[in-house]
Amino acid sequence: MDIMNKARVKSPWVLHFNCGSCNGCDIEILAALAPRFDVERFGIINIGNPKQADVLLVTGPANRRNFRVLKNLYDQMPETKVVIVVGSCGSTGGVFYNCPNVLGGVDKVVPVDVYVPGCAARPEQIIDGFILGLQKLAEKGKKKVEGR
Amino acid sequence: MPDPVLSYALPVLLLAAFPFIGGLLRGIDRKITAHMQSRIGPPVLQPFYDVIKLWGKKPFITSQFQPVLAFGYLGFSLMAAAILVFRLDLLLLLFTVATADVCLVAASFNSKSPYSHIGGMRELLSVLSYEPVMIMSIISIYFATRSFLVGGIFSLAYPLLLLLPGVFVAMGFVLIVEMKKSPFDISASMHAHQEIVRGVFTEFSGYTMAMVELGHWVKMMLILSIMAYFWAPNLLIGVGLALLLFFVSLVVDNIYPRLTWQRMLKTTWTFGFTLILANLVALFLLGGV
Amino acid sequence: MYGELIVATNVLLPLIMGLACLGLTGRGIRRAIIAIMAASLIASSLLLFYSGGFVYSPNYLVEMSALILGFCLVAYFLYVGFRIKNVLVIGLTLLQILLVAYFEYSAIGVSVEPALMVDNLSIFMSLIVNIVGSMICVYALSYMDEHEEILQLSRSRQPRFFFFLLLFLGAMNGLIYSNNILWLAFFWEVTTLCCYELIRHDRTKEAEKNAAVALWMNLTGGVALSASLFVSYYAIGSIALNELLMAGAAPILLLSFAFMALAAFTKSAQFPFHGWLLGAMVAPTPVSALLHASTMVNAGVYLILRIAPAIKDTHLTWAVVLVGAFTFMLTAVLAISQRGSKRILAYSTISNLGLIILCAGLNTPLAYSAALILLLFHAISKGLLFMGAGVVENRLHSQNIESWEGLLGRFPLTAIIMIVGMISMFLPPFGMLLGKWAALEVIASSPPSIVFLLIIFMVIGSATTTLFWARWLGRLIILPVKETKLRAEKLHPPYLLSLLSLLSLDLFISVGAAFFISNLVNPTVGGGYSVQIGAPLFSINTTIGSFPVLLFWLAVGVIFIAGFAVAKSKGGVVKPPFLGGENVEGNPSAFRTMADTEAEFQVSVMSFDSIGEGRLNKYALVGGTLLLALLFLMVMF
Ligand code: SF4
Repeated sequence: MDIMNKARVKSPWVLHFNCGSCNGCDIEILAALAPRFDVERFGIINIGNPKQADVLLVTGPANRRNFRVLKNLYDQMPETKVVIVVGSCGSTGGVFYNCPNVLGGVDKVVPVDVYVPGCAARPEQIIDGFILGLQKLAEKGKKKVEGR
Repeated sequence: MPDPVLSYALPVLLLAAFPFIGGLLRGIDRKITAHMQSRIGPPVLQPFYDVIKLWGKKPFITSQFQPVLAFGYLGFSLMAAAILVFRLDLLLLLFTVATADVCLVAASFNSKSPYSHIGGMRELLSVLSYEPVMIMSIISIYFATRSFLVGGIFSLAYPLLLLLPGVFVAMGFVLIVEMKKSPFDISASMHAHQEIVRGVFTEFSGYTMAMVELGHWVKMMLILSIMAYFWAPNLLIGVGLALLLFFVSLVVDNIYPRLTWQRMLKTTWTFGFTLILANLVALFLLGGV
Repeated sequence: MYGELIVATNVLLPLIMGLACLGLTGRGIRRAIIAIMAASLIASSLLLFYSGGFVYSPNYLVEMSALILGFCLVAYFLYVGFRIKNVLVIGLTLLQILLVAYFEYSAIGVSVEPALMVDNLSIFMSLIVNIVGSMICVYALSYMDEHEEILQLSRSRQPRFFFFLLLFLGAMNGLIYSNNILWLAFFWEVTTLCCYELIRHDRTKEAEKNAAVALWMNLTGGVALSASLFVSYYAIGSIALNELLMAGAAPILLLSFAFMALAAFTKSAQFPFHGWLLGAMVAPTPVSALLHASTMVNAGVYLILRIAPAIKDTHLTWAVVLVGAFTFMLTAVLAISQRGSKRILAYSTISNLGLIILCAGLNTPLAYSAALILLLFHAISKGLLFMGAGVVENRLHSQNIESWEGLLGRFPLTAIIMIVGMISMFLPPFGMLLGKWAALEVIASSPPSIVFLLIIFMVIGSATTTLFWARWLGRLIILPVKETKLRAEKLHPPYLLSLLSLLSLDLFISVGAAFFISNLVNPTVGGGYSVQIGAPLFSINTTIGSFPVLLFWLAVGVIFIAGFAVAKSKGGVVKPPFLGGENVEGNPSAFRTMADTEAEFQVSVMSFDSIGEGRLNKYALVGGTLLLALLFLMVMF
């Protein structure tokens, strides 16, 4: 099962979900995908489809309007999966903290594995976040094997 | 009596190698594409990582028929490859490829998902755009060899390409459609498309997606092998030719935007038909048959 | 004696039983009659197959009565023409009367020995007509009950319906046994009558209108047949089909054949006569099934197949080829723009008949056998499809294929029958593909002057065929998440019997295609046949290709068993589709929209309205008419 875990780490497909951010972090994420930072080096692809994704990349705070969507997308992702939150507002609510419609960080709705702070988070940070996320993915994969 | 090694062992080996070479080519494809976009790109083995990972994911399906149909896509693609390597009838190969396509489309229609329905319908349109060209190419091969059997290509003293250059180029269109590359990637592609998510692949996940991906590689290899047979006397040259066309298709992929289905149909049919017919007319006039 | 027995059971018995249906109107009795009829028709056609052909000449009395009946028939048409005030019908009937009367007057006492001649082609046709036809009759028992329930008729019109249904089969049998062209023309007109009466069975305005169209178009064919009779009598002094076919290809005889081909095109609904078969869809479904699978359209194809050897190497045969090829392509394109289930089936029928006629026209031994293979498998599959479509229609009260969505979840048994039927039309290794495979080979080896045109027609036709079938197939297998446990629905016994027996027949013949081709098709083709069976039961080889049927089936079996094994071992959780995260719990076909309200959504088929009938029909009519002109032009060369 070692191969399986290696493959898991080597091929994280991403579902990017904007949960109501200011778009600052989204631009940074796109920058990470674009030639300068080129995260496809690590096999990362923006697949846009929860059913095939391994990483849920969320920007923006959870709010009353779309927390259900967030939950649904998370549920539609098959195990093994990790959730990475990019940006301060997604982590805690950030600049939107205490706004009437905002619930707070993404972790109010779905379990979050990695928080990438910053307003906006820089691509290097996002890549760092990915590396941490992939370690967690590997751990989850191992646990799944042992759990059998 | 033909050598048993040549007539059985080698084809079986080749068949087993088909998915691996296909996967490798996909890796090379992604690497080259990345370089064309001044990126570094994923490792060459990336497609294998993807498929292995997909296989290990928790399975989500749309109904109990979906995995069977997804397997059908892979199975019939492999069967078409088997028909090719065992040198059977080319028309049979064509029918088998069509069956594989229908399996994929049926699997995508299996759920009530708007995205995969649009993708499935567009996949059918891609079939509509390449199938006539492919039938015509096969008939052209018949004109050159007077046989529908793949073996006929090998019994020809000179390479097919000299007789059928137009057909070879027309097959390039088939290749691009089959590889789901721009400008003909209306039904799905590697990345998400804005309006159809992943098109015909949307509702596959985990092992069903892995099987579809494998089937896709096999089908790509199938077309490439047919192209390699255009230089049958020396297959090394043939493979070189096929790889050349493969590269050309990558270049085309990177410089052309996606077409609408109407324009795709028009393009493949006009270019395909014209090239093949011109080629055949020339062949008849020159008395090459 | 044996010939008389066959003629009696296959031609006369349907008539008598039909009359019995008219008289004895009880439901149970009708069922018994149909059951007996079906059994005897199947038995006698099998008997005919095993004991081979015969010739038979009825005595003078029978011939006279047939003649009188014939005139009665034409008089009835005249009456119909006046009743529906259709100038075309009146004119054509008068022309017909004139032709036949003048003929009878000028050729008094011309008699044909033998009047009925049953050879291998007739036997082949009779198997199709009787086996598929009787299954349709059995099917009609349930269908008509449901149909009248839906229409809520106060008085059942079933006796009439079954009378014409049986008469139709009898006439069809008579038609394929006839050697005397006069008899042929007589039975031809009887099928026209049955067709007319069955189409207008429901007596709606639309039904009457479409029936009238069918009537005049088929009367055109009748007149053409009489004309051909006339020509043949003046050319060779005989009206025996076999003598005509042996007489060589003098231009004047070609004229006779051209008239016959014209007649065949009307019956087989080739361009420009495709209108009537589409209009015939208003009739109850068993009628459509009968018209498309076992009787009417096959009569035309039969005639073409009959005359094909005689017009070999003439220019006429190329005109036939072009009509077939043109129809094949354009109807396949037309079919993709259709949404009515029966309309798609109708276009597909016309298209396949075009292909058969194309093959018959190409007139090589291989082409001839391709035509026969296509004819055989088309009849079975199309019968099955129409019957299934009828069952569905009675349940959904709609012909629109949009409403077929998720049929697999709602009526699994019918859906599976339909799915197998559809697959058997366009995917290997079913028989139709075997025929198409042979057809492709034949077309590829046709002469250079015509080959490019044919190839273009062929490739476009076959690609669009795949498209419209797959599109429809996709409707059936949509499975919303709720319904994952399939449970077969209940069907009436006649439904079950007819559907399942045709289904198993289709599968059986397709699996054993090599055997059936060597024992059924090859003897029919006769001399100079190039298709060989590689090993018995195993594969079909021509000089230029090979189709290992059984191996193919084996591979398909392995793939599906392996597929089920993989699906079983990996399993999976059934999840609702991806809807951008806006799914509604518990309702897989709704999403959450503005203000969190729920909205149902639909997935529809792509319509291709831009290339629909409105745009292409004029090409069909003009092209068809031009090709008909070409047909007669070719006679002069
Ligand atoms: S963290 Fe800051 S930059 Fe990023 S989305 Fe939130 S508000 Fe915008």
